[in-house]
Amino acid sequence: MTRRRLENIALAGITLTAGAIWIFPLYWAFVTSIRSDARVVSDGAGLIPDEFNPTSYVDALFNTSLIDWYINSIGTSLIITVVVLVTGMMCAYALSQMQFPGRRLLYLVVLASFMVPAQTLVVPQFELMNRLDLINRWGGIILPQLVVPVVIIVYKQFFDALPKEMKEAVVLDGGGDYTLLFRVYLPLNWGITTALGIITFIMSWNAFLWPFLVVTTENMMTIPVGITQVNDAFGVAYARVMSVALLAAAPVVIAYLIFQKRVTEAVMISSGVKG
Amino acid sequence: MDGVKLTNIRKAFGPFEVIRDVSLEIPKGDFGVFVGPSGCGKSTLLRMIAGLENTSGGRIEIGGRDVTHVEPAKRGVAMVFQSYALYPHLSVAENMGFSLRLARAPRHEREAKVREAARILQLTDHLDKKPSALSGGQRQRVAIGRAIVREPEVFLFDEPLSNLDAELRVQMRLELTRLHRQIGATMIYVTHDQVEAMTLADDIFVLKGGHVMQSGHPLHLYDDPDNRFVAGFIGSPSMNFVSGVVTRADDTGLVARTEEGELRARVLGPKPGPGAEVVLGIRPEHLAPVEAGGLPVRVEVAEELGGQSFVHARSASGSDIVFERRENRARLDGQALRLGAAAEKVFAFTPEGGRLR
Ligand SMILES: Nc1ncnc2c1ncn2[C@@H]1O[C@H](COP(=O)(O)OP(=O)(O)OP(=O)(O)O)[C@@H](O)[C@H]1O
Ligand SMILES: [Mg+2]
Repeated sequence: MTRRRLENIALAGITLTAGAIWIFPLYWAFVTSIRSDARVVSDGAGLIPDEFNPTSYVDALFNTSLIDWYINSIGTSLIITVVVLVTGMMCAYALSQMQFPGRRLLYLVVLASFMVPAQTLVVPQFELMNRLDLINRWGGIILPQLVVPVVIIVYKQFFDALPKEMKEAVVLDGGGDYTLLFRVYLPLNWGITTALGIITFIMSWNAFLWPFLVVTTENMMTIPVGITQVNDAFGVAYARVMSVALLAAAPVVIAYLIFQKRVTEAVMISSGVKG
Repeated sequence: MDGVKLTNIRKAFGPFEVIRDVSLEIPKGDFGVFVGPSGCGKSTLLRMIAGLENTSGGRIEIGGRDVTHVEPAKRGVAMVFQSYALYPHLSVAENMGFSLRLARAPRHEREAKVREAARILQLTDHLDKKPSALSGGQRQRVAIGRAIVREPEVFLFDEPLSNLDAELRVQMRLELTRLHRQIGATMIYVTHDQVEAMTLADDIFVLKGGHVMQSGHPLHLYDDPDNRFVAGFIGSPSMNFVSGVVTRADDTGLVARTEEGELRARVLGPKPGPGAEVVLGIRPEHLAPVEAGGLPVRVEVAEELGGQSFVHARSASGSDIVFERRENRARLDGQALRLGAAAEKVFAFTPEGGRLR
């Protein structure tokens, strides 16, 4: 019994320490963001909040294109999430349920592309977008982010595991592939769909490298790319950078708090695939 | 006779011939049962009638219409699967009404049909539940309800009761018979359980290796099997078989000498002469102890069922012989007996398994 107690206390201690390490940068960013720029760089600016000065937030909101970046981020992330889910599901359905020549080969291609790190594709992708004249266009930001093999793989595994009779029952009831996919299989896997939706959304919200390369027009930037502009335009304005960063992270943090369980699930599902 | 008619049906999966030249007819309103050992192709044949499997050759007619190449939903058939295959995310009512929804039937029509099916199947109290909240028997009834709602010409069942426990199976069997009387539609039922086949069928089709070995009324198959396979498959416990050599043949039959004794079988038609090998088959209820002649056996164990008992005995050549006893409960364990049967109850088969009549 006492041994159990000790263990619990030790575990709680470890968890709390890990939590503190995790929250510290956020805390520091917050403390910095509510100080004036002068105070931030002055001597003796410690870890304790000693000033409440919302200037940097006001600045961030009204003297940068933060609102535009927000809208851009929300727009592109939503479009990417929806398109990735719908196409991924349909692709997985075809690979799992339909008979056509080259099916296995196609799936191998999907698996292979899952193994290729996105960074290695940046140069050919840029070249491709350039030829398609999509640099500095929404299409250029969105298109390359629509390829998420893990979504296809997770859906395919799910479809593969469903009993054949379910499909046959639908066929006899007079339904086709679309009925089967959208009226039976989709409602059967809302859990997986929300989980995949959440990770796709977070992935594209946080995407930096590609949007950074493909967009140079400031009002087309997404938030992570926009943050770099705050730095450049005003020198090192720590308070303002931190407030923009916090505002950028806020939606993801809030979403995370709401969907906590689903996100954990999502990470487990997609890493389960990674093995 | 506008039920289901198959003409020279064949099915091959790649090089494997699973169904070889099956022709059969099930009259409208009949209850037909495909029965046979595992892997004999009964599910495949049923799925071909449903249209879930395409046909490699031959012709399928339903209600006088050639449906060989018609898509499943347009054949006028409904199928009940062994695994029920209910839609887990839909309620019982939605499950049953799904096909009508897809067909865009008016809402009141759909609801009326679902209510009627639920009434027939005693599911009225469960219409709003999800399948996961139902028992196995109820789930199977929902699956049947889903079929009823479509008002098909032909109901197809693929081992619908094999996931249920024994008691429920008997009960559902009776319900199916009642349902068949009530609805009057043609039904085709697949099972490997010959008791199910015997109790449900108007017509049994015994399949083996993709062939129909014999078809007909259950009792006809029981009383007058065409071949050794059907003789052994229909009936429980199965028929006893002993091989022997013909010693005498006359107008009314033949006498065969087995390793240990002699049996007389009635064969009116052409029969092999002395010296030919034959196999004799006798059902357990037709064997009884006799004073002289017959087969000498030694009794091993008896299965006492109360009203009757099945006594397992071993013949001198080592084969297991079962005979039935009623009333007399005196224990016979370890005793040596001679078992005989009336000549007209002894079936004779050629070594290849054909019947000598
Ligand atoms: N899709 C398929 N591809 C290849 N062979 C198949 C396929 N479906 C069935 N078979 C083969 O066809 C034969 C008959 O199968 P079927 O399912 O009709 O048997 P069954 O009589 O229903 O047996 P059971 O009582 O075990 O259900 C089997 O040997 C099986 O291996
Ligand atoms: Mg089967």
